[in-house]
Amino acid sequence: MSCALNVKDYKSNLKPIWCPGCGDFGVLASLYKAFEELQLQPENTAVCSGIGCSSRLPGYINAYTFNGIHGRVLPFATGVKMASPESTVIAVGGDGDGFSIGAGHIGHAARKNIDITYIVMDNNIYGLTKGQASPTTPLGERTKTTYYGNMGMTFNPVRMLIAYKSSFVARTFAGNPKHVQEMIVKAIQHPGFSFVEILSPCVTFRGKDQFKIIRDKVIYLDEDHDFEDELKAFDIANNEENFALGVIYKKVRPTYTEIVKEHVTKKARATVNGTPKIDQLLEQFQP
Amino acid sequence: MLNNKNIVIGIAGSGGDGVISAGEILVNAASSEGLFVFMLKSVGPQIRGGESSVRVRVSDLPVQSQGDRIDVLVVLSWKNFLRFKSELQLEEKVIIVSDTNDPMPDEEIPLTESQREFWYKIPFTKLAEEYAGTHQAKNIVMLGAISEIFSLPREALNKSIKKKFRNKTTEIIENNIKAMVAGVEYVKTHIVKSDPLTFEYQRRKPRLVMQGNEAIALGAIYAGLDYYAGYPITPSTEIMEWISRYLPQRDGIAMQMEDELASINAILGASFAGKKAMTATSGPGISLMNEGIGLASMAELPVVIINVQRGGPSTGLPTKTEQADLMQAIWGGHGDSPRVVIAPCDVEDCFDSTVLAFYIAEKYQCPVIVLSDQFIGHRKESINPESMGGSEVGFREIYHRDTPSIEDLKDYHRFKVTETGVSPISCLGIKGGEYLGSGIEHDEKGFPKNDATNHAKMTEKRWKKFEYIKEEFRFERFYGPKDAKLGIIAWGSTKGAVKEAVHKANAMGMSVGAIIPQIVYPFLIEPFKEFIENKDRIIIAEMSYVGQFRRYLRGFLRFSQYGVKVIPFTKAGGAPFMVEEILNKIIKEWKEMEAKQ
Repeated sequence: MSCALNVKDYKSNLKPIWCPGCGDFGVLASLYKAFEELQLQPENTAVCSGIGCSSRLPGYINAYTFNGIHGRVLPFATGVKMASPESTVIAVGGDGDGFSIGAGHIGHAARKNIDITYIVMDNNIYGLTKGQASPTTPLGERTKTTYYGNMGMTFNPVRMLIAYKSSFVARTFAGNPKHVQEMIVKAIQHPGFSFVEILSPCVTFRGKDQFKIIRDKVIYLDEDHDFEDELKAFDIANNEENFALGVIYKKVRPTYTEIVKEHVTKKARATVNGTPKIDQLLEQFQP
Repeated sequence: MLNNKNIVIGIAGSGGDGVISAGEILVNAASSEGLFVFMLKSVGPQIRGGESSVRVRVSDLPVQSQGDRIDVLVVLSWKNFLRFKSELQLEEKVIIVSDTNDPMPDEEIPLTESQREFWYKIPFTKLAEEYAGTHQAKNIVMLGAISEIFSLPREALNKSIKKKFRNKTTEIIENNIKAMVAGVEYVKTHIVKSDPLTFEYQRRKPRLVMQGNEAIALGAIYAGLDYYAGYPITPSTEIMEWISRYLPQRDGIAMQMEDELASINAILGASFAGKKAMTATSGPGISLMNEGIGLASMAELPVVIINVQRGGPSTGLPTKTEQADLMQAIWGGHGDSPRVVIAPCDVEDCFDSTVLAFYIAEKYQCPVIVLSDQFIGHRKESINPESMGGSEVGFREIYHRDTPSIEDLKDYHRFKVTETGVSPISCLGIKGGEYLGSGIEHDEKGFPKNDATNHAKMTEKRWKKFEYIKEEFRFERFYGPKDAKLGIIAWGSTKGAVKEAVHKANAMGMSVGAIIPQIVYPFLIEPFKEFIENKDRIIIAEMSYVGQFRRYLRGFLRFSQYGVKVIPFTKAGGAPFMVEEILNKIIKEWKEMEAKQ
């Protein structure tokens, strides 16, 4: 290819503000590589986010990027995709943005099968506000806002996404950039809503040993894992002793855009001859 | 006062009585004759069934309001009428038409002696069963009867009935026509007309019948709406219902979201991708959207937000009107967040205001809020088709977003500080126009920047647009003589009662002027200064208990400097102003002014 794009073409002039050792650096590097692998055109790519450490990521990418408000990345990305169905639309964020303030949106983006990729960099803590409990903070863990220990059960994102009929659910680990890249590529290629949970340690507020702790718990799904088996997928999600990495669940079904095109626009178009003029729309108001 | 050219008919009954259908048939019939019509409906809190009432004002002359008092009261069930007693205020010389076989004894019905003078009893239910084979046709029997008593356009009614039932079987249509004829014949043979009311009018070109909410939906489509995202909420839902049906005919997308937070953010996403986007909601939804509206200000994304106001705070009065979301529209959300607020004042204006909202949003890259209310949103008015963008030439301009020039894209600065504050806006698909949009403060390139100097510069840039909006639009509505010493300032749906009261007052020999803005914010100060300059007293009328509009105006207009005495005229919403209320206020102030001289 004469004008192939490479990693540097996807880098913006902005330098990340993350702490040294943050898992998000690895995710960003893998994302650049995934973009290169897919040869995404920056002008036809949108990367959106809400608020949080990981939500700063869009600023580091050369594309149409947006850093909106806390918890609302999925509806924003939905609007982008609806307005520009030919573009690649990626939503990114953290566990607080996604599973706490924004949790209400996940089920709807998933059930509508909006053709976007949702990447959650899960560090089990609020990092931007400097160390408070998030929905995925382990039960009993002391944080700045749970001085006597975190009181809520730890949230299981993969299980929720399978339950919501997300048509693609994968998990990966920032400590394995190759695997992160592979999962992101697969997610973007998937037609429909794709969810990737990336275990991305916060070394500042959860300790420098986080990479090791997670690495010890990681297992990789077999090549022959039947990702269409929903019950199997739930079993994998329910195993909280280990983190199974790979495409855990996947089932292709019509995307929202396809349904709109086939079942809404087509039907609506069939009721009229060409595009109705305002005069024609006014006819229904004739007494 | 009875007037043969202007008649206000109230109809009340139980949910199954077909009260609203009867009102609609009447409205359509009158509009097809080119008459001026105004219809309000009121239903009980039940989802289905329960009581309902309509008030239909039919006039040979233009009408501005619902009409204060009922000239003709049609009662299909007295028990249910009682629930609307406070909404259907009767003329002292009201003419009553009711069912002969109503179970409520006459003496229990709360009517004054004079209100009992003209009282026709017709066996609606019995005639319906006899001629149409079902009691359900009693509303049609009733229409036949009143058309005979008051000389309402019979042929037009006939056509409207056929149109109403056009999707039913021939048998049903025929039975309904029989029911109408039965009503007519019964009056001819059994009733001796004793009242003085006989409707007179001139036939004109048919007018359209539309609700404010429909006019907004139509305006949005006229303006080139591409993407709608919303969440159902009374009293705005009809906007989404209409758009979800007609927008896909033009390849647009209407999407029901999970909540209002999603709705506002989804339209921001679509706008970011270069499309014209809108949402519609009511007070509780707007409260949820405020953070997103601030994002639109900060990211300078064009979006249109419709607020069909209802009574508040909190859940408030979902099906009733109020004008108490004004301050929230202007100052809602945190930070200095520029947005434009436009207030339609009637059904026709809902169309124009929405087209204008898109024009300003797209041209000035900011959120525009259209503040309608339940009173306009749910009422039906007969309107001139030409004011709806039809084939009219020279109608309000449609603005299409500029894209950055080749020069701009060489070193693209999305938020470049320009003279007008408006910067070249790029969108997905444009090579070289990639940028970071954000809610965080940013520099001209779009990159986050946290320093005070930059924040001051960018805040000024975003607000600068307002000066140019104020320059571009000057239009205000003036009524009455300019040199009047007594003035009224009002906004939005209060216009109707104010305009009618001002005309009446001037006809009575007083000299009263009024001004009603269309763009409420930014405040176009000049026309108001001119208006108050020569006034002694100004009544500020609004449906807000605390007088939000008055407090807002005081921020711009030093009334005392002009020697003007401000007379607050406020009320909590629920029931819109009656002409009489405004007129009485005018008379009181007028008399006081005279006494002082």
